[in-house]
Parts: sequence; C-alpha cells; structure tokens
Amino acid sequence: MDDLLGEFLTETSDSLSVLDIELVKLEQTPNDPELLGNIFRLVHTIKGTCGFLGLPRLESVAHAGENVLGKFRDGEVEVTAGAVTLILESLDTIKMILSGLEETEKEPEGDDADLIARLNAAAKGNIGGAAAPAPDPEPAAQADPEAAVEDDFDSIEVPVEEPAAEAPKPAGAEAPAVDDFQPEFAAPDSAPVIDLKIPGQANIEPVASGGAVALAGGQEVADASVHRESSIANQSIRVSVPLLENLMTMVSELVLTRNQLLQIMRSQKDSEFVTPLQRLNHVTSELQEGVMKTRMQPIGNAWAKLPRLIRDLSQDLDKKINLKMIGEDTELDRQVLELIKDPLTHMVRNSADHGIEQPHERLAAGKSEAGTVRLNAYHEGGHIHIEIADDGRGLPIEKISKRIVENGLATEAELAGLSDQQIQQFIFRAGFSTAEAVTNVSGRGVGMDVVRTNIEKIGGTVELKSTEGRGSTFLIKIPLTLAIVSALIVEAGGERFAIPQISVVELVKAGGTSEHVIDLINGTPVLRLRDRLMPLVSLPKLLNLQSSNEATDLLPKPVEGEAADAEAKSAKDKPKAAKGAETEVDAGAGDCFVVVAQVGAYAFGVIVDRVFDTEEIVVKPVAPILRDIEIFSGNTILGDGSVIMILDPNGIAAATGEVGLADSRETADAESRRSEDERVALLLFRSGAGAPKAVPLALVARLEDIDLEKIETSNGTMVIQYRGRLMPLIPFDGKFDLAAACQDAENQRRSVLVFADGDRSMGLIVDEIIDIVEQPISVELTGERSGVLGSAIIAGRATDVIDSGYYLTKANRDWFRTSSEPSTRTHQRRVLLVDDSPFFLNMITPILSVAGYSVTSVASADEAIALRDAGEDFDIIVSDIEMPGMDGFQFAEQVKGGDRWSNTPIVALSSRSSPLDLDRGRQAGFNDYVTKLDRDALLESLSQTLADVRGAA
Amino acid sequence: MSNLVPAGGRSLAVTDDPAKKATVDYVTVMIDDQLFGIPVLQVQDVLAPQAITRIPLAPAEVAGSLNLRGRIVTAIDVRTRLGLPRRQSSERQMSVVVDMGGELYSLIVDGVGEVLTVQENAFERNLATLDPVWRKVSTGIYRLKEGLLVVLDVSRLLTLKGQEAA
Repeated sequence: MDDLLGEFLTETSDSLSVLDIELVKLEQTPNDPELLGNIFRLVHTIKGTCGFLGLPRLESVAHAGENVLGKFRDGEVEVTAGAVTLILESLDTIKMILSGLEETEKEPEGDDADLIARLNAAAKGNIGGAAAPAPDPEPAAQADPEAAVEDDFDSIEVPVEEPAAEAPKPAGAEAPAVDDFQPEFAAPDSAPVIDLKIPGQANIEPVASGGAVALAGGQEVADASVHRESSIANQSIRVSVPLLENLMTMVSELVLTRNQLLQIMRSQKDSEFVTPLQRLNHVTSELQEGVMKTRMQPIGNAWAKLPRLIRDLSQDLDKKINLKMIGEDTELDRQVLELIKDPLTHMVRNSADHGIEQPHERLAAGKSEAGTVRLNAYHEGGHIHIEIADDGRGLPIEKISKRIVENGLATEAELAGLSDQQIQQFIFRAGFSTAEAVTNVSGRGVGMDVVRTNIEKIGGTVELKSTEGRGSTFLIKIPLTLAIVSALIVEAGGERFAIPQISVVELVKAGGTSEHVIDLINGTPVLRLRDRLMPLVSLPKLLNLQSSNEATDLLPKPVEGEAADAEAKSAKDKPKAAKGAETEVDAGAGDCFVVVAQVGAYAFGVIVDRVFDTEEIVVKPVAPILRDIEIFSGNTILGDGSVIMILDPNGIAAATGEVGLADSRETADAESRRSEDERVALLLFRSGAGAPKAVPLALVARLEDIDLEKIETSNGTMVIQYRGRLMPLIPFDGKFDLAAACQDAENQRRSVLVFADGDRSMGLIVDEIIDIVEQPISVELTGERSGVLGSAIIAGRATDVIDSGYYLTKANRDWFRTSSEPSTRTHQRRVLLVDDSPFFLNMITPILSVAGYSVTSVASADEAIALRDAGEDFDIIVSDIEMPGMDGFQFAEQVKGGDRWSNTPIVALSSRSSPLDLDRGRQAGFNDYVTKLDRDALLESLSQTLADVRGAA
Repeated sequence: MSNLVPAGGRSLAVTDDPAKKATVDYVTVMIDDQLFGIPVLQVQDVLAPQAITRIPLAPAEVAGSLNLRGRIVTAIDVRTRLGLPRRQSSERQMSVVVDMGGELYSLIVDGVGEVLTVQENAFERNLATLDPVWRKVSTGIYRLKEGLLVVLDVSRLLTLKGQEAA
C-alpha cells in the first residue's frame, strides 16, 4: 500500500475513535466550545487530507459533517441528540469507506447523497437566513489523537524522551488561523512510519516520514487554548508492532545469553570479566524492563469505543445509562489488551441491555432514572482487576433456573440444592441466554461462555456477583503480561521444571531433619503444616518419572517406552537424588521439598526432589502436538540454554483428580457435589402391568414377604395378623383378586411394603420388589392418576413414582384424622412446610402427616409470608434453604424479624449440612437444621423443637 | 499464550505433488537401513545429536525438546513413529529440522545423506502391502539405482496417534 495512504488510514482511524468519544461528551455538555473546536478540527483534518489524496467520496461526507459541526460551533444549530446521531452516522460512513480503502486502496462504490442531504438539511435546519457560510478558520492540518492502536496499521505509541524534531512555534497563537493549507507530505519512502508528537503551545504535530520531516509548517491552531486532555502525555512516536516484537525477541535472547554468561562466571571467581559482566547485567535488565514497557498500554485504549456504544444503546433501547470509567490509565500488556477488548465490550453491552432497566421500571424500583455502568481497572498483586458493575436488575434467579431446566443443563432437583450464586454461574455455560427477546443488541445465546473462554485463555478469571434488583458486578482478573513470568525451578526425577512463582505460596523442607513430617494415609502422602493437613502430590510420580511399587493411582499408566526411558535416564543421571528422594518420601523420613501451591482457594503441596532458584522466564507455548498434556502451560529456555517445561498448577490439581479448584471449574464441581447430595434412595417394585414403580425408601418402614393364606378379610378389606395386631393390606394393583391368587399354588407369597407410624401400620401388596437404587431424580408431575406422583427416569427406565399418602388414606380413611384424636395425640401440631420442589413437598407431606402433624405446604417463602399476613398460625415451620426468590435464610430472618411468627420455631430442611451451613442457619434464626430425606431426624427434630419451645413457654 | 517469536519470513513452501514435476529434490535420511526422502524445501537444518529435554507424559514418539538458536524445537523419534525398534545408545543419530505451520520439529533419524535429485517418472504410489503406518506417513516410493527411496510426508508424520481427528 502507498505509504501516504497507509499513514492517512492510521491517522484517520485514530481521529475517528477520538471523535466517537468527544461527540458523546458533546451531547452531554453541548455548550463546551473547547470540545466543539476540537471535534471540528478533527473532522476538518480528515476532510482536508482526503481532498489532498483525491478521495472525493470521503471528502464529500466529511465536508457535509464538518458543515454541521461548524454551525454547532457558531451556535447557529443547537446540539441535539438527533444531530449528534447524524454526525455519528456520517462518521460510520467514513469508517466504512476507510475500511474499503484499506482493502482495495480504492474508495468503495456507493452513494451518500441521502446522508449528505440530511447533513445539509441539519446544517440549514435552524438557521434563519444565514445564507453565508460561517468563515471557517483553518486549524492545524495534523491533529493526531492520543488513543492509538485502534487502527488498521497496527502500530503502537511509545513515549519519547526528547522530541526528534523541533516544534515550530506558532506565530500567533491567539490569532484565528488563516490560509487554506494543504498539508505537505514528504515523498513516501520505505522507512517505517513514525509519527512524532511534540509538545508545543499549540497542538501542532509534525509528521516524520521515515526521517524526512515534513512539518505542517506554518500551521497555526485556531485556538491555542484548545489542548486536548489526551495530548498532555504527548511525547510519543509511532513504531510498527512487528518491529517492537522483534526487539522484544532480541532482548529475550540477550537476557538468556546474559544469564548464560553469569552462570559461567559463577564458577570462575577471580576473572577480569567480573566488572564488565556486572555492567552488562544491569544494562540488560534495564533494557529488558524498558522494552517490556513499550508493550504496556493504558486500558483506556480498550475502553475507547465504549462511550459511543453506551450512547447508541441508550438511544436504541430508550434507557438512560451513564458510563463511568475509573482507572483508564492502568497499564497492561498490549497483547492482553487486544485479547480482552472484545470480551469487555460484550460485557458492557450485556450490562446495558440486560442489566439496566427501563427508566419507568427503575423509578418503580425506587432507583434513579438513569442507570450506571461502571468500569473500574486497577492493579492488584501482579494482576489487573477490571470490574464491570451495573446498578440494574441483577440476574433473575427464577428465569435462569427456568432456562437451565429448559435447556437441560441441570434438573430441578439439582437446582434445588444450589445457591443463588451457583445458579447465576450458569450464565457462563454455552448456549445460555436469558434475554426474553433476541434484540439486535444481545441475547443470541452466545456470549458469556465465549467471554469466559477468552478470558481464561489468557490465564484470567471472571467472577460474578449479582443481587437481584440491585445489579451485577463482574470481576475480571488477568495477568499483567503473558510474556515474562518469574518461576521457581525445581527438580523431579532428574528433570527440571518451572513452577510459576505466582501460584507458589511457600516452600517447606520436609523429612527427617526438618520439623515437618510427611505422613502416609493408606499410601497417600499428607503434610502437617501449622495445624493443617495439606494434601500432597508427588511430582515424580505424577509425571511418571519413576516407577513406584505403591503407585497411588495418581495417574494413568505411563506410555511404556517413555517410562522405561525415564527410569533408565533418571537411574543413570541421578541415581542417588532421584531414587533416594522417592524412598525418603515413602518412608516418611529424610529430606525432600514441598512446594505449597495455591489454585483458587485450594492449597496443595507438590513434592519435588530439589529446589533451585527462581528465574525470570519467557513463556513460550508448547508445540501443538503436546498441547493436550494439561500439566504443562508452556516451555522456556533457561539461562544455561536448556529447554524446560513450565508446570501449570491448575493442571496438576486437575490431574490429581481435584477438579473444581480453579474458579473456572467451581460450577461443575458444585454440580457434581450437588447431585451427590440430592441422591434419593428409591425402592423399585413391580405390580401389575406397565412401568416399574418407585417409592422413596425413607417412607417405607419394613419390607415383608407374606403368605397369601394368612391374609384374612375383615369388613371388606384385607388384613393380616402382624406383630400381634391387625394390619390392613392394600393391593397396589387395584384388580388384585385374593381368591384367584390363592388358587395359584405356585405363587403363594407376596411382597409387602409396610408403612408404619407408631403402633399403626399398613401394608401395600406388590408383585415383586426389584431393587433399591440411589440416584438423583427429577419427577415430572402428572396429575392424572390418583396414587401416582408422576414419572421419572430411574435406573434408565421410565418409572412411576407413587404417592404413598394416597394408599395410606385408602387403608384407613381416618389415618390422618385419627391421629389428631386426643387419645393418640394430645394436640395436633400444625406444620407449615415451605419447599419449592414439588417432589419434596409430596414426599415430606406424607411423612409429616403420618406422624400426626397437620401439614400446610407452600412452594415459596413468599407464599408462606402471605399466609402469615393472612393471619394463619402454625406451631412450627419447616423450610427448605435453597429456593428461588427469597431463600430459606432470608425467610427465617423475616419470620424471626416479624412480630406475629417471631416465636414460631423454624426448622431448616436442606441437603447441605456442612458446619458452615449449620452456623449460618442458626444465625438466620433456625432452631434446628435437618438434612433432607432423613425421615427419623426430621421427626425427631420436630418433636424436640416443639418440646423445647413448650418447655420454654 | 504469548508467541514472541514470529514465525519469520522463512516459512517454506511445501512442494507440490512430486508426480507433477520433472525432477524433485530430497534430503535423504537413513532409518533402520532404509533410505527415506524429505522434500528439501521443508528442511531447515541438519543437527548433530543435542541435549534433549525429555517431556513427561508426552506421546512415545516425542523424544523431547531442544533449543535451536533460541527457538524451542520438538524432537520426534522417527523410529518410534514408524514402529521400528529403539535405537541402541551406541548407535549414531542425526536430526533433520523441519518447519510445520510455523513450529519447528526435529526428526531424529539414524543418519543424513546427500540431497538427491530424482526423476518424477521413477515415482510410484505406495504399495498396498506396505505396513499401514508406513503407508500413512509416506507419499510414495522412488525407484533408484541405489535402491528404493521412501518419501516422507512431514505433516502426516507429525500427526501422532489420537490427534488424527484434530
């Protein structure tokens, strides 16, 4: 491409990105003459240059836009949103033409007559009779914006210590500019394009084309006071990125060579090279640092597009949105910057589209009409943190849950055990979108998963905090640079490896002579460290570097040849160190080192044979054929020239089976844990034709095998003498014919499920008991047949889950009623059962009913509160914890906080029962905490709690 | 992941189907007494034995990685790749460095010979009776006076088991 054109494109796209921002600002402060002047000048520059380069289409659009801006500036046309939109539209057209230019070096075909006509109309629109165009002062031809890199030329700006060319002093800074100036460009040559910006009173920016300096000589700025804020840090030079990258590579090589020299010097104490080498050392370090800095860019560059984006969105969506950007100067590696640009834009767009509500909704929710999207960037601990916060509606748990179930990402039963936070994490799953309608802005279902993948690709993490009704905050943590990391060099099995220093917490010397001892539990090493047990991973074993008799299945089998080779080599090279360390660890005596690493919240120890020093290493990606070994994150060349693999602590944790340690895996882990917890033991039986039947095992008191001959008929129902009493029997199959069954001499026995409560019991006759399975179930309710709760897939087959309550009443119509009689129960307790899952409601209600409680069940905490407000009273409340909307903890607080029910005891029923959960439950006001599906514990807890309350009363 | 080292301007064109040209140049290498040819334009370097860092958990064919003037090169043991017995440590070995998609690989062979210019009409497609692995990694065979020259297809040679789908 023509150098001149290339330079023009670079510069113009820079100008355009500044214009985007400035125009949005202008809309907010329409009467800022400084801003207007600046905008005008930028557009004018574009127009002037394309006239010079012979780009008529571009020129005509820019000219029409400039006209309108001129009128703005002269106060002849009011700055309105509509007018700004029009100008932005013309900028978009300019961008479109520019991209065409870049591809073909020709202006793309097209007609902008309509746009130009509208621009002209806008320019004339409000001017009464002012026919003569306002005299346009000519500002400096070259206005180069600061915001770089967002360009087609792929260049980077670096600060320059001294101006390379002397800036011409403006003759009369105050004077309005004079002549029509066409910028002069030096004849293009092959040298790289450098664009210098030199501070001056006026904003004059000479252009150096490969050293030949062609100044926009004599150009004066219309208004010397117009200093763009961005031009304060103005000593910069434009260097092409490949050049910098090359420089970076060379410096890396230099550093490595320096390290090599230093290592040689260590063995030669008295050498005349010592002093010069020290200087070389320092200079190299500084050089490296300097070159690293050239890669750094303020994050503001990635944000440059956002004001325009938000502005357009708020117009499109009829919302009022403010964008606040904090920490724009925070610097990070250019490469990282490029990679997070798109995810950031996406997330901001999401916040504006999904997060911020319509103004009337906001007012209704008691918020200010205008929503705020806040971006905040700062350094913390070698990472850049970027927060994207909005004060919108937050993530709606209910909608998300619904979507999760619809999309088959999890079952209802699984969700019941998840916290709100965990449910919210589902938005990072592929193919998930909660937007009710696909807008042209977002909601296409590709999104957050891509965002997360992109961020994780560069070693970052993304966290989500959201409170429904109050907004969402995303926190992105990304490493400062991907290029150079400090790493600890360790040895295992005769090979050296690098562990990134950032994940190393401490080094512990363990073994005989040390205070720390490695203990073995069933062959698994653990370390006692400051009153904590630390799980240990043996690196040699993990990497199959040694054969070990008591291999603890840490790893899959090694590839045969490799292991043999490894063994041979380690035996040959380091017979003592390698073998010795292994024995020592196994024996729990002797010395070895434990590198304590931290991945997310999880700390673990890595046993290594030796620890060397730390070294700055240049991370290089591993060859494609090695990419699937997740234990390595890259490789590098050490000071001594040898190649070394870089260990990935995430990968180590994953390889040892500890998945779900990194943030990224938290959700998956939580799920697997949940589904563990949510397992329900079900008794499967067959009766009559059709699908197998299932009943929760918790409801069944005993299983009996009875002889049909023992069945008697009393008062039209079947009974059997059972433990000295008469137990009513109900055939599950309604068509069961006792007489006919007795004829069948072959099969005189039947299985009976005994449901019991105190001294009462009933038997359900079934054909055959198949199995007891334990698995998470999701019942699809069908209200069609009495006696059946619904169907579920159990043990791979569609199975009817039966409603035991139905059969209980069938056996004894007054089963539930009698228990309230004073003879058996002094007083029937009223229980309010709150659980969002129909399955659990249906399961627990019979348990409680059978136990003599009068049960009222509701599906949400809100309904429960509604009952309270309606004047209902209960003796005790049993509530689930994880519920959509108000969860159990909030519910308990409400109950205890209100006056009417404040003395009503409340028992938590949850599948989560860690000590932490218990504590939290107590704090929220729960009197007791029972695990779901523990029938006896629940009943025990209820009677105990009631007794306590009665005792206290 | 950072790739600070640009691939460089030396990315070499892969030779066209040998059958279409009048003559083709091959770097000849010897593996287990069989003559192989690697298209000369794909060869970057020929190396004497080097210090190689073994890579644990890597496929058996991967001998390790080495430092070639500041670039990390993955070493592939062609014997293992071809299913031949391992080299005795006393036997000599050489390496041919090839470029594949901007990455360098060092192919460990028994010996490297001269560059041979062969006539395309001496080319024959692989025989069906050849070992499946060999058939996969070679494009064909040249009938030469000195014997038969098996042409190695570098890209297929570097596609290891389990990665073929990728």
